[in-house]
Amino acid sequence: MHINTEFMAETFLASLGGIPVTLEITLVTLLISVPPAFFMALARQRRKGIGSRLASAYVSFIRGTPVVLQILFLYSLLPSLLNYLFTQVMSLQVNVFKWNTILYAFIVFSLNTTAVLSEVFRSALSTVEHGQMEGALSVGLSRRQAYARIILPQALVSALPNICNATVNLLKSTSLAFMMTVQDITAIAKVRAAYGYNYIEAYLVVLVVYILLCTVVQLLFKAVERYLSSYKKLIAA
Amino acid sequence: MRPFHPSYIITALGQIIPFLWVTLATMAGTVFFGSLAGLMLARAKVRRRPLSRALANVYIYMTRCIPSIVLLFIIYYGLPELLLAFGININGFDKAFFVITTFSVLFAANMAEVFRSAYEAIDPGQREAALSAGLSEWEAFFRILLPQCVTVALPNFANALVNLMKEGSLAYTIGMVDVMGKGQLMIGMNNGSYSLEIYLALAILYWALTIVLEKGFGYVEKRLSSGKRTAAA
Repeated sequence: MHINTEFMAETFLASLGGIPVTLEITLVTLLISVPPAFFMALARQRRKGIGSRLASAYVSFIRGTPVVLQILFLYSLLPSLLNYLFTQVMSLQVNVFKWNTILYAFIVFSLNTTAVLSEVFRSALSTVEHGQMEGALSVGLSRRQAYARIILPQALVSALPNICNATVNLLKSTSLAFMMTVQDITAIAKVRAAYGYNYIEAYLVVLVVYILLCTVVQLLFKAVERYLSSYKKLIAA
Repeated sequence: MRPFHPSYIITALGQIIPFLWVTLATMAGTVFFGSLAGLMLARAKVRRRPLSRALANVYIYMTRCIPSIVLLFIIYYGLPELLLAFGININGFDKAFFVITTFSVLFAANMAEVFRSAYEAIDPGQREAALSAGLSEWEAFFRILLPQCVTVALPNFANALVNLMKEGSLAYTIGMVDVMGKGQLMIGMNNGSYSLEIYLALAILYWALTIVLEKGFGYVEKRLSSGKRTAAA
């Protein structure tokens, strides 16, 4: 077996150029998905009404289908649909086909992560006892204040490990963005590999880069968790 | 706007479903080999031998960080070359071999955690009580500990299985013809038309499978944990 180490070193440096794209997809996706996921979790907590049912069906569908399939489906649907909407329905002069395909990556991964995070938030909200809400209301806070100041800070601490998990999974699934011709780590390595059929070397490099990225993400979450859960120590002391 | 024919979804489903057994068979193979490896990893984690435990931890950590598509490509392109260096030629092997190998590597890490948490959830007093009641070590394991472990492990196992099924759809990228692969072939043969209908058919199929798996395991779990409820009452 022959491993071209020179190629590996070059590919490693080249694929570092893809890290910003991968991180951009991950971060933007998280930012887009957190608010709707939170409201979906609240809707599902009520357990009745049309909102709760719709949210359950949405989560079930997204979690029941592979990410690849969602990517393939939306990537074959969205460009022509958006083009139709903009040029025919709204008669705007927009060329959808010139947009950066990273937009579609944002859409697909946000739809997916919203479902995942809504489950995370739902279980986190259920870990805060009901008495906390009653206590907050009885000292004169409004419902909104009670959520923002009492419930959420506590729920966030118990949600963090699961949010970390969701982020790592999201980071991993962004490796499928190459199917939408987004130039992320995997895509860069794949193109370089195709020149000289150096697939093994290229993918080994990608593997190392992902392990490094995941490690950084997990260390960051550990640090945030330690910082946020400091209130627990105060109570214990 | 492109045309959309809802009735083609049914046609597509009819052509895709015969390939369901490929998906299910690769899943079964992966579950078998992945669980065996997972059992060994869990054993290494539970026993207090520092070296094997550290190795198991590193293995689990690394596989958690690897995107499955990257590992699939590494094994598909790399394993034949690696084995050729030892004089073993697997170039003619079926694609399913590489798919099962890849996903077993990943599934083993999930299963290790499932087994470990199930094992640790059982109070050691259960074993001691069983032994003091006169059961042998084997009897205590099979009649007292294992049934309790299974109840704890089932929900996590179901979760891992559903994830495996969804990740397994990536097998089409190396050319295996399972349900996903068949769908892609159909799109290719239609020169790209009907792609939305075919993807919807696939989505319905995967969604239905997920619901069946979840409901099925939920039912089994309820049946198995019935003993628990009477004990608590």
